[in-house]
Amino acid sequence: MMENLHWLFYAYGAGWLLIFGYLFWIGRRERHLRRKVAELHELLNEKWTPKKSK
Amino acid sequence: MYTGPVEGQSIPPAGFDDRPALPLWLLLPTAALMLLTLYLVFDWVSTEATMGIVQRIFYFHVPAAAVSFLACFVGGVSSILYLVTRQEKYDDLSLAANESIVVFESVNIVMGSLWARPVWGIWWTWDARLTSSFVLLFLYAAYLMVRRAAPVESRAGVCAVVCILGMLDVPLIYMSNRLFRTQHPSPVLGGGENSGLAPDMLKTFLVALVTMVLVWWCVVRVRRRVARLDRAVEDLTRRANELVDAGSIRL
Repeated sequence: MMENLHWLFYAYGAGWLLIFGYLFWIGRRERHLRRKVAELHELLNEKWTPKKSK
Repeated sequence: MYTGPVEGQSIPPAGFDDRPALPLWLLLPTAALMLLTLYLVFDWVSTEATMGIVQRIFYFHVPAAAVSFLACFVGGVSSILYLVTRQEKYDDLSLAANESIVVFESVNIVMGSLWARPVWGIWWTWDARLTSSFVLLFLYAAYLMVRRAAPVESRAGVCAVVCILGMLDVPLIYMSNRLFRTQHPSPVLGGGENSGLAPDMLKTFLVALVTMVLVWWCVVRVRRRVARLDRAVEDLTRRANELVDAGSIRL
């Protein structure tokens, strides 16, 4: 009954690794993009000269 | 051409909300159900008589497949909604759902293979069920490649076609071990008179299924947020380039 226990752990380990690995990867990507958006926003607000309103 | 807002206005917002992608009302029940599922699978549920303890892979393998089917449906419907309405939120949801199919279908196939090895003595066989599942994985991997490679203006149309093909593969996978003789076992749920699960196995399966749906929802929410941020970066970069071209700013 218990001789295949290691296959059960391999399978669950692989499953969770794939899901959490993916979540970790997109979490990192989210942080990177947030920084990039903030930088671009700051750059645009800093550098441009607004036109006079008519 | 965008030359910037007039005096007194600031740069328009990037177009995404800043609330956490995973709110506590979703995160806490998901974490609690994950722990409950682990307890049920590894301690509570009875062991299947023929295959032994390795049969417990079932409680992760089948929900992963079910969630892939759900993601195909959500991705396909949101693709069609995007084509009809051209609202970017549907495109973001479609991308998030379709990318999640690659993850959950990979989980399904890898776990199935790790179950097949001790039970069948082989890692893989090209029967109807396994082959159609493999085709689903590759269709959505192709979707992700097409999405990166296709020009922006034709991207949605091409991707929608791949989504529709993916949706067509789902009933084929579902029916494959009903219509053909396969190495893969006959359906345990909804498979006729001799199919079914013992009550404790059914309870464990249902809890595992709900858990997997919640985990999938978390994944889709985070991926959708990343899609929105990607769009915001594209938008701000385009604005910056237009302002440079118009001479409004010097970078």
